[in-house]
Amino acid sequence: MNRIGIDVGGTFTDVVLIEDDGRAHSVKVPTTPRDRVIGAVAGFRRVLEVSGIAAETVGFVGHGTTMATNMVVEGTGAKTALVTTRGFRDILELRRIARHDRADLYDLLFDNPKPLVARRHRYEVPERLDHRGGVELPLDMQALAEVAEAIAASDVEAVAVCFLHAFINPAHEQTAAHFLAERLPGRFITASHAVNPELGEYERTSTTIMNAMLGPICARYIRNLGGELQRAGFHGELMFMQSNGGLAHAEMVAARPVMLLESGPAGGVSAALRLSDPEAAGVILGDMGGTTFDVSLIREGRPELRHSSLLHSYAVRAPSIDIDSIGAGGGSIAWIDAGGGVRIGPQSAGADPGPACYGRGGTRPTVTDCNLVLGYIDPDTFLDGGFRLDVAAAEAAIRTHLAEPLGMPVLRAARTVRAVANALMAQAMRLMTVERGYDPREFSYLCFGGAGPLHALDLARELEIRRVIVPPLPGLFSALGMVLADRKTDGQAAVERELSSMDVAWLEQRFAALEGEVLASFRAGGIAPEQITLRRGLDCRYAGQPDSIAIDLPPEGFSGIGHAFAAAHQRLWNFTKPDQSIIVNNLRIEGQSRTGWRGELRVGTPKPRPEPWKTRDVALGEAPQTLPVWRRRDLPAGFRIAGPAVVEEQSSCIILGPGESAEVDAALNLVIGL
Amino acid sequence: MDIVTYEILRNGLYATAREMKIAMMRTAGSPIVHSGGDASAALFDAEMQLVAQGNDIPTMLGSAVISTRASVEAVGRDKLRPGDVIISNDVYLGGGNHQPDIQFTRPVFVDNEIVAFVMTRGHWTDIGGQAPGSYTCMTWDVFAEGVRIPPVLLYREDKPVEDVMTLIVQNTRDPAVRLLDIQAQYAGCYVGDRRVVEMVRKYGKEALRETMARALDHSERLMREAIRAIPDGIYEAEDALEPVAGPAGWPTEPIPLKVKITKQGDRIDFDYAGTGAQTRGGINCPFSVTCNSTWFTVKAITDVTIPINQGCYRPVGIAAPEGSVVNCRFPAPVVAGNTETSPRIIDLLLKALAPAVPKRVVGQSNCGAFSGIFGGDDPDEERVRRTGRKFVGMIDPHAGGMGARADKDGVNGIRVYVGNAGSTAVEIIEQTSPLLVEEWSLVPDTGGAGEFRGGLTSRRVYRVGYEEATFTACGERGIHPPLGQFGGGAGSTFLCDIQHSDGSEQRVPAKAGHSIVHRGDRVRLQPAGSGGYGDPRRRPRQKLLDDLRDGYITAAALTRDYFLSEAEAAALLAEAGQPERAHG
Repeated sequence: MNRIGIDVGGTFTDVVLIEDDGRAHSVKVPTTPRDRVIGAVAGFRRVLEVSGIAAETVGFVGHGTTMATNMVVEGTGAKTALVTTRGFRDILELRRIARHDRADLYDLLFDNPKPLVARRHRYEVPERLDHRGGVELPLDMQALAEVAEAIAASDVEAVAVCFLHAFINPAHEQTAAHFLAERLPGRFITASHAVNPELGEYERTSTTIMNAMLGPICARYIRNLGGELQRAGFHGELMFMQSNGGLAHAEMVAARPVMLLESGPAGGVSAALRLSDPEAAGVILGDMGGTTFDVSLIREGRPELRHSSLLHSYAVRAPSIDIDSIGAGGGSIAWIDAGGGVRIGPQSAGADPGPACYGRGGTRPTVTDCNLVLGYIDPDTFLDGGFRLDVAAAEAAIRTHLAEPLGMPVLRAARTVRAVANALMAQAMRLMTVERGYDPREFSYLCFGGAGPLHALDLARELEIRRVIVPPLPGLFSALGMVLADRKTDGQAAVERELSSMDVAWLEQRFAALEGEVLASFRAGGIAPEQITLRRGLDCRYAGQPDSIAIDLPPEGFSGIGHAFAAAHQRLWNFTKPDQSIIVNNLRIEGQSRTGWRGELRVGTPKPRPEPWKTRDVALGEAPQTLPVWRRRDLPAGFRIAGPAVVEEQSSCIILGPGESAEVDAALNLVIGL
Repeated sequence: MDIVTYEILRNGLYATAREMKIAMMRTAGSPIVHSGGDASAALFDAEMQLVAQGNDIPTMLGSAVISTRASVEAVGRDKLRPGDVIISNDVYLGGGNHQPDIQFTRPVFVDNEIVAFVMTRGHWTDIGGQAPGSYTCMTWDVFAEGVRIPPVLLYREDKPVEDVMTLIVQNTRDPAVRLLDIQAQYAGCYVGDRRVVEMVRKYGKEALRETMARALDHSERLMREAIRAIPDGIYEAEDALEPVAGPAGWPTEPIPLKVKITKQGDRIDFDYAGTGAQTRGGINCPFSVTCNSTWFTVKAITDVTIPINQGCYRPVGIAAPEGSVVNCRFPAPVVAGNTETSPRIIDLLLKALAPAVPKRVVGQSNCGAFSGIFGGDDPDEERVRRTGRKFVGMIDPHAGGMGARADKDGVNGIRVYVGNAGSTAVEIIEQTSPLLVEEWSLVPDTGGAGEFRGGLTSRRVYRVGYEEATFTACGERGIHPPLGQFGGGAGSTFLCDIQHSDGSEQRVPAKAGHSIVHRGDRVRLQPAGSGGYGDPRRRPRQKLLDDLRDGYITAAALTRDYFLSEAEAAALLAEAGQPERAHG
C-alpha cells in the first residue's frame, strides 16, 4: 500500500508519498489561504505525477493542518454563542484580568484581545452547582427555552455550553446541551464537561468556545477534503493529525476540533519519535522555518506534552505537544535599534517578499541572507537549483542596514547576526529543558525545517550537546510524520480528591471506565483492543497549590502515586512537602495504536562509493575556506564523512567543522558527534 | 568586547529574570503569587544597579532599584558570603514599596568576588498586623501593617537561618504557606545565581561587567532620545487624594496632589512640591513608590520598546517634599500607597502631560489594585482536613476599567498601570474558601463616554459561608470619579456594600477598616470605571449601536452621556432591537 502525508503550512503545503517498499517522493506546493483544501489536493495530485503512482493505489492519507490555528489568529471561526451560568457571561472577557500575555507591561496603548464571542451572544441561564457538584439552584428550563429561541432567530452556527463546576457534575450541562441540540438542529453544540472536564472556569470556557467555533468549519473542511481527494481518485483511509502527536479519524476530530490546534507542528514530532533512537534518554527537537523557531522535547521515547496553553493569548486546554516558539526563523529580519544593538525579528520577510536574496523585492536583511553570504547556503543548488538565490542582493541588504551602521565588513555583520540568532535559539532550547527540570547536556538535538540544519551544530555546541541528528527530508519532516504517526486517543476525567481518601478499588473502577471510553473510540475506528496500548496517568498537586503536575501511574500502581508525585515535584521545583496532603485532580488515559508505517525508508539514490561533487567557499572562521561538498542523496547507510566538509540537500545543508564527523545511520539520519 | 558576546549576555540576563520568576511562581504557597503571578524577579550589577527584569509587576521592579541597594547596605556588603540571601519588606529600613511585598536579595559570587545581585519579590497573602490579609488602610502606623522585616540574612551560605525564619513566619497567620513562599523566592534567587555564574564561567567576569554597563548606557541613550522628542516646556497638574474613612478626628479633607514637570532637552524633572502632608491611614507613599510611579509614566509616554533597566531612569529627576504623602516619614502607614495612591500619581502625571503628548495619554482609570479580603475560620470540616487549614484568608484582586486611548476604547475589567496580579478562578475560590461567588460581570455605563469609550468595571458578589469573618476592602476613587481626556466623560466611582442576612445594609467606603461578616451575608464589590477620550458627540453611530447590543451602555446613556436627541436615541434603540444582519 502506498501512503501519503500532507502538511498544510502557512506558506507551503508539503506532501510526502511513501511507497510500500519505503521509497519516498516529495513535493512542495504553495498553500492556498482562501481555501486550503485546494492546495492540499493540488499537492496530492502533484506527488502522484512526479512518482508516477496511481491514486487508486494510495491506501492512506495522513493530514496535518494549521487551519484551526489560523482560524483563531485570523478570527474567522464560526459565529458562536455561549450559554453559561447566570452571573458569569463575562468570565470569557475578563479572563484572569492580568496582562501577563502582553508584550509590554508599560504599554498603555495595547490592544486587548477581542473576546472570542461578542457579549451579545453570551447568554445566561439560572442554574448553579456548588463546588462539590451539589445542586444549589436547578436548571431553569423555561429560561433555556428562551435562549434557544433567541439563538434560533440569529445567524449563530455553534453553541458552547459551560456551567460552573460542571466538570464535577455534568448533569446540568448534559440536559442543556441535549435540549439545545433538539431545538437547534443543524447547529454545532458542544459542552465543557465533554471538551475539557477540568477545574478553572475561564480556561474551560475558552477551550469549549474554541471547540465550538472550530466545529462547523472543521466539519466543512473535512467534508471538502474528503470529497476532493475522492474526486482525485483516492478511496483509502483519511486521518488527521491531532495536537497530541497522534492521528485520529475524521468523525473524532469533527467532534473535538480543538484537538487540531497544534496539528501541523505535531507531525514533525511524530516523525522524530519514530526516527530517533528510542534508547536515547532525550531529544530536543528544533524546527526552524521561515518565521519561527519551534522547540519541543522527547523523553524516554515519548513527546513532552502539556495540557494547557495560550494560543494567540486565548487559553486552550487540550493535550498537546509542548512547543515553545520564538520569532527567529530564516525570514526574520535583522535590524539595529537606536542604541546600536543588533536585534532579530519579530518582523519577518515571510515568503513574500521573502529574504532579500529571493529577489522578490525584499530589501531588509534576514537570517537567510546572512547564511547565504557566509556560504552556509549555496545559491546555485537551493531547492535543487530550482530557485536561484541572489547573493548580491543579500550583500547589499546587509551592507546598507547592518554593516555600514555598525562600521564593520559585510561578512562580520553577517556573522554577528548568525551569532545573535544562535544565542536566541539556544536560549529557547535551554528554557525548554530547564523549565521542566532537565539538563540540556543530557539530550541529543534533532533539527528539521528548511533552515534547521544550518544552525544545528552551533546550537549543540552552545548547549554542550554531544549528538546532532539530521533526519531524512528535514524540509518536509512534518509531512513525513503524517505517514509515520500512530493513532492516539486521550481520555480525561476530573477527580478533585485527596489521595489518602481514595482506595485502590475506587481508582481502578474510575480508570477502567475511562479506558472503556477510549477503547470504544478506537473500536469505532476499526481497531481491535489487542492493538491498543493504554497508559494511565494522573494530575496531582499539594493541597493549597492551584497548579498540578502530570505523572504516569507508577508500575507499582496505587501505592506508588505519592512517591511518584513527590519525585516529579522534586525534579520540577527542588522540594517536597511530606506533611502536605496530595490532591488528585484528574485521571488521564493515553491510548495508542501502532498503526503508523514502520517500513524502512528509502530516500535519494545512494551510491556505494560516493564522492564530493564540488567544492565551495564557506566562512567558517574569519576567512572563507574551500570545503568539499557532498550530496546527501548520494550517501548510503553506514557512510562516514570527516570534516571540514559540506553535506548538502534540497533546502538545507550541514557544515562540519575540522575534527567533526557525520555518519549515516540505518534510518538514513545523518548523525554528528561533537 | 565584541557585539556578539554583548548580545548573548544581555539576552541571557533577561532570560534569567524570566526563569527566576517561573521558579518562584510555581513553588509559592500564596495563591496570589502562584496563579496570580504577583511576584517579580530582577538582576543587578555589582553596584546594585538594576540591569534586567522580567515582564512582571512594575511597582515591584521600579522600587527594587531603591530597595536592593538599601538591603545590601543595611547588612553590609563586606559581610556577604556566597549563598547568602537577605530578606526584607520594610519601607523605612529596607526601601520597600509596602510591607506585604517581601524581597529576597542574593549576591552572586565568582571567586570570592561579587559580580551581580539577583532579587525576587513576592506578595505574601498575610504578614500579620491588624487584620487578616494584612491589607487594611485604617492603620495608625507601619507597625499595625504587619511584621517589619529589616534587611537581615535569611539564608547563610545556602542554609536557612532557622531562628529568623521561625520568628517571621510565626508572626503571620498562615505559617505553613509562608514557608512555601520562602522556598519559592529562595528557589528563584538560586536559579538566578546559578545562571549568572554559568555565564561568567563561559564569558568571563569582565565581559559580564561590561555587558551590564553597556546595557545601562544603551537604555539611557534610547531614553534620552525619546525624551528629546517631547516638546520642551513646563507641565503642571493638580488632583486630590481621598482620605481614609477613619475614626473621629482623622482628617476628612482630600489631600492635594501636585506636580510640576520640566521637560528640557533630553531631561525631564518632576517636582511634587505643594502635595499635601502625610496623613492618617495606610495611603502614604514611600519615596520608592513615587519614583516607581514616575518612572512607569515616563516609560509609558515615551518608547515602551526600550529595554527596561535603571539606565532608563537616569534622565529623570524626582523631587518630593519629605513628610508629604508622596515621600512619607517613619512611622506613617503605607500599605495602599503602593496600590491605590500610586495609580493616582500616574493619573496626575498623565493629566499634566496631556498637552505635551496627547496621543500617548489615556483617560483616568480605576486606580485601585482593589482587593477584597476575607479572613476567618473555615466551618467546613472536610475541607479543613483536606487543606490542613482552619484559618482561611482569601485575598481577591479585582478588575476595574482602564481609560480610553487616543485611537481606541479603554479596556474592560483589567488591572491597570503598576499592578498586575491576576484574579483567582471562581471555582478555585469556592473550593478553597467558604465563599460562594454569585456574580462576576461587567457593569454597563461605568466607562466614561467619549469618541473612545472608557473601559467598564466589573462587579463581584460573594455570599459568605464563614460563620464569622473579617472583610476588608481597599480601593480608590470612592469620591473622585476617573475623568476623561479631551472632552471625554467620567467613569463611575468605587462601590462596595454588605447586605447582612438580618436585612440591614452597610455601605463600605473605598478606604476603611475591616467589617465583620457572617454566614449568609452578601458582599458586593465594584471598583471604579474609567474615563473616556474625546468628545462623546463624535462617537460613530455604529459603535453606539454595538455598545447597545453588547450591553456596554444602556439606553439612558444615549441622551445623557452621548447627547443624542430623543429622536436619534429612539431610532438607534429601534435598530439595536432588530436582529443583526448576517455577516458577509
